[in-house]
Amino acid sequence: MNPTRYLEVYKIQFKNNFVREAVYRTNFLTAVTVDLIWMGVEISLFSVLYANTSTIGGWSREQVYFFLGVFFSSDALFTTLFQRNFWNFSDLVNKGELDILLTKPIHPLFLALSRSMNLTALFNVLLGFVISSRYATSAGFAGGWHWLEWCGWLIFGLYAALQIRFLFSIWIFWTDRSWALSRLYYQFFAFATKPDTIYPRTIRYLILTALPFGFIGSVPARALLYGLKTEEFLAALGVLMAFTAINVFLWKTGLRRYQSASS
Amino acid sequence: MKLQWRLAALRNGFQDATAYRVEFIFEFLGSAFVPAAIQWVLWYALFKIGGASEVAGMTYVDLVHYTLMSLLFSQVRGGDHDFELSEMIRSGQLSNYLLRPVGVVEFVYIRGVAPRIFIAGICLILGVILGQLFGLSGPRMIGAMFLALLGNIIHYQVGATLATTAFLWEESYSILMVKNMVVNLLSGELIPLNLFPPSLQWLWKSTPFYLYVFGPTQYALGHWSHTEFLMQIAISMLWILFGWGLIRLSWDLGMKRYLSLGG
Repeated sequence: MNPTRYLEVYKIQFKNNFVREAVYRTNFLTAVTVDLIWMGVEISLFSVLYANTSTIGGWSREQVYFFLGVFFSSDALFTTLFQRNFWNFSDLVNKGELDILLTKPIHPLFLALSRSMNLTALFNVLLGFVISSRYATSAGFAGGWHWLEWCGWLIFGLYAALQIRFLFSIWIFWTDRSWALSRLYYQFFAFATKPDTIYPRTIRYLILTALPFGFIGSVPARALLYGLKTEEFLAALGVLMAFTAINVFLWKTGLRRYQSASS
Repeated sequence: MKLQWRLAALRNGFQDATAYRVEFIFEFLGSAFVPAAIQWVLWYALFKIGGASEVAGMTYVDLVHYTLMSLLFSQVRGGDHDFELSEMIRSGQLSNYLLRPVGVVEFVYIRGVAPRIFIAGICLILGVILGQLFGLSGPRMIGAMFLALLGNIIHYQVGATLATTAFLWEESYSILMVKNMVVNLLSGELIPLNLFPPSLQWLWKSTPFYLYVFGPTQYALGHWSHTEFLMQIAISMLWILFGWGLIRLSWDLGMKRYLSLGG
């Protein structure tokens, strides 16, 4: 594996996507509007709840808004880099489009997951950052160099989202259509939109292990506000490593099953 | 003849939705239980973790009852057939439908509503059975489901009107997405609307969205009198009439711009 070659390919993919986005400029406005409304709805939901109480699961209004900022940024980063590729993932297998990727002198999975980017969503990464920074001080975030830590946790959230989404998509090698599983992913994704401390023990355990949606925004926000215990941090890493191993196994097994078009 | 094509469209829509039964069940279960779990978690955080005894005059039990009941009606309100209209306009497929001796807006609705009617039937049976256990009235449940079905019509009318923006800007996907997000919050699907602070109550009262989930739930739970219910039915009818007028106007205007070029 030659990292320079991968970097070069990624640069070309990025450039191609940038050119495409520049052509559809109105798409930028509409996509940003949709995301703004989505953020508005999430914030309004908590605003209504906080109009009736001062804390939810031990989190103040400002802490939840800080969490939402982290979550929006993390999710927007995933949308920018991977979301479109996952929408196209089932076509790759069902229509045999994976054939062409298998013939390239580069890992097919790298190509499958980096072909399409939604660069418009980068704007929302910035919006999430603005929300986080607006409530950082009142939420108790230390600031300063800790903003670098904020970026690190964003990548952690991105990696978690990538692994979970992959696990929901890979079954296309065994099923005819995968949109129900994709829809199910987005249904479960709702668990990521709330801080994990508000969940009852069983659900909390679930979203920190088998369905680690809590890793996308909640664990990063909690780590930034309160810090994580070493065993918590190691457990989170362990879960992500286990997900990676399972996904690699399923990808390899799926490829062995793959029979080109209409498989 | 008029009834015949409508029945055929209904049958066709139902067959289409249930062709992939496992996916249909996944979709139904996912869209029902995950949002309910999220709602319950919020109440759990407020009351069990936060120690609140009452929020906006509602106890933990009241809110759990609301969640369970609203679950049944939120299954009826959905349907993405307005997106189908938008796509038909964008791609030029609308021309195929214009050649048929049927009203395209009505045809798409009937085909799309078929699975919703089936789900409404299941929810009604479940509601009546659960109602017996919790001492709720069966006839109220039937009335509430009727209101939810009227809400489904209004929801489509709003969507069908917004879909005509595709005549102007080629795509209306984003606008329909925004509409769905707003509906999510203002229909009472996420939280009971009486949790809104008094200064913001006008927000949901000035739209018909509360008739989709919040209204039926209130009536089924016995929080609305029969007189109030009848008044809300009358209001629904007025919204339907208004929606019908909007559809006529927007589609007449849109058709004058339609070029059938596809996109």
